Amino acid sequence: MAEQLALELARAGVVVVSGLALGIDAAAHRGALNAGGVTVAVMGTGVDVIYPTAHTVLAEAILAGGGALVSQFPDGTAPRRHNFPARNYTMAALSDVVLVVEAAEGSGALITAEAALDLHKEVMAVPGSIFSPLSVGTHALLRDGAGLVQNARDVLSVLSQGGEVLDDPLATPAGLGFKLPPERDGILFHLSDVLAVNASELARKLQLPISDVLGRLTALELDGVVKRHQEGYVRALRRGKERA
Amino acid sequence: MLVGLDVRPVRVEAYIGRGEVAFVLTGLATTTVKESRERVRSAIRNSGLDFPSTRLAVNLAPAELRKDGTGLDLPIAVAIALARAEKRPPPGSAFLGELALDGSVRHVDGVLVAARGLHELGYERVFVPAEDAGEAALIGGLEVIPCPSLAAVVGHLTGVEPIDQATSNVAVTEQPSSVEHDLLEVHGQEEAKRALEVAAAGGHHLLMSGPPGGGKTMLARCLPGILPPLELSEAFEVAQVRSLLGDLPAGSPLDWTRPFRSPHHAISTAGLIGGGGGIAQPGEISRASHGVLFLDELAEFQAPVLQALRQPLETGSVTITRSGGSVRYPARFTLVAATNPCPCGWAGDGIRACRCTPAAIDSYQRRLSGPLLDRIDLQVTVRRVALEQLASEPRGEPTATVRARVVAARRRQLDRQGCLNAQLKPPRLRQLAGLAPHSRRTLERWSAQRGMTARGFHRAWRVARTAADLDGSSEIEEQHVLEALGFRLNDVAA
Repeated sequence: MAEQLALELARAGVVVVSGLALGIDAAAHRGALNAGGVTVAVMGTGVDVIYPTAHTVLAEAILAGGGALVSQFPDGTAPRRHNFPARNYTMAALSDVVLVVEAAEGSGALITAEAALDLHKEVMAVPGSIFSPLSVGTHALLRDGAGLVQNARDVLSVLSQGGEVLDDPLATPAGLGFKLPPERDGILFHLSDVLAVNASELARKLQLPISDVLGRLTALELDGVVKRHQEGYVRALRRGKERA
Repeated sequence: MLVGLDVRPVRVEAYIGRGEVAFVLTGLATTTVKESRERVRSAIRNSGLDFPSTRLAVNLAPAELRKDGTGLDLPIAVAIALARAEKRPPPGSAFLGELALDGSVRHVDGVLVAARGLHELGYERVFVPAEDAGEAALIGGLEVIPCPSLAAVVGHLTGVEPIDQATSNVAVTEQPSSVEHDLLEVHGQEEAKRALEVAAAGGHHLLMSGPPGGGKTMLARCLPGILPPLELSEAFEVAQVRSLLGDLPAGSPLDWTRPFRSPHHAISTAGLIGGGGGIAQPGEISRASHGVLFLDELAEFQAPVLQALRQPLETGSVTITRSGGSVRYPARFTLVAATNPCPCGWAGDGIRACRCTPAAIDSYQRRLSGPLLDRIDLQVTVRRVALEQLASEPRGEPTATVRARVVAARRRQLDRQGCLNAQLKPPRLRQLAGLAPHSRRTLERWSAQRGMTARGFHRAWRVARTAADLDGSSEIEEQHVLEALGFRLNDVAA
């Protein structure tokens, strides 16, 4: 979701600011980069200290894409727990709109959202499943008046750039360039692109033997149509651009 | 005497000569055997027999073999008593037992192993402690004399009052094993149950990952029930290992249920693999042979302990060398491992949030990665079902139904290749488990996409073969390959 939003926003010319951390942060950067867009990483370490180190390649790609790595901390600052909330404040300050995709209770993203409110910036949030612990924070934000984000256009309209959208993100993605074999779409129908569904549940809903369901899911995975997570299977939005 | 599961006969000679009063014991006896002099002396006197009052020499042959254990008490005492009576024991007889000071014969470990070995070596008759006679009597064609006391043995040998031969009170026929945990009781968890079935059918190892309370232990305990009952030869092997450890129930030495061992994660390498001074004792992996070794909290086991599992996982046996010599024990078990996804246990749980940092999760999972995981064919995520949903989840199939499928699939494998799929080496795999062109393409595609190792490729192939066997299919269809790949959690998309 974060990657998809970032991709569409970047395509519309929006600069995506995020924190170079694992998970949503990285997804946002990647989405923007995949769209050939500009993205800025606000770091909680010195600009010469890539943390986590696994993101060295990502950081290089950000620079190569014309983006920037910025930090309020002196060179050589190692990752310190207390530096990250300050970094989140900076992120909010640099942005026009703060978009929270997922936030569990007590998540760092909520600090960013709070900072944005202090700075009179717009806060928006993506709703999730009411069963997902990772959406508790975003739902709290929405309840408190944050803007609802279902797609990139929601964000663009707040950025008052609605008129400039060339690629309508609401249009059926043309990139859905694969045809589903007819016997497989029954499974896809029961899959969501945000909430993971496990194979046991699918087997029960479809009244199919589990061995069958596992096989079909793997086939879909092989085709890049679904992704497997720890929690279960989700629908992949587009294929061919998973991870760098 | 026993060296692991091997039997080395010891010849006991006694000579009553002239000279000052002495009791000399020669033939590389260790402390336990040297101590036997006192037990033998008291036992002989308290049995109403006469102890020589001149020089007495007892020799244990072959002299270069280190003699250990208390089982030599009885033969030494018998040798002295017969020397005194100037008699010889009937040919082809062996004696085994510890003596009490009052002359009664006590239990020793490993009587079943000794009886089997002696029978193979051509002995016709064994004298064993009365309480162990049931074990020895399992060996057909061997005359077993149960010895309540030294006096009774001497009485038997001198023809005063013969002891009746022990007969096996256990019918050596396969009996259906009772099922302790039935799959019927497991609600939901279809994926994990299917993984268990595949593991049982093909002898594959299985890793379950999931939050606490997901039912991993419950599922693992169901596995012995869906395995077919032990074959006679397997039951014998299990009983022999238990006999060595003195752990055979006296009433029914042969047990047809598959062993289920679940050592705690604080276990030492010696405890798991086998070890100890002198001659190594069998460890948990040997006790689990032909059954299930369940390692809960896999990531909490010490790394060297897990490393030591690798060789037995590959070969199905373990060779341990200690000061007393090198022994080989069986270790053909099905490994079922369980782990939490992260230190707090809640990563990926739909109900409770995980509180671990990504780095902590990473290092936790890294502890499991590598060569050990590479040897586990099936990996499956077990999810927690919310309590209020539990009742609405469908009940499982009864264990008996699943076992029938497993037994049929195993028979197909044994008829085709004489071993289970998990034990097929790559050349035989290629020869016996041909992939349909379509299936091969799918497997290769996945392999290229996920950067699977050659070992992983063959593992997925074997699992696919098992899925086909469960289906009763002679060809490995694409569906079977896809299912096998569905049980590989650790192939990360490149």
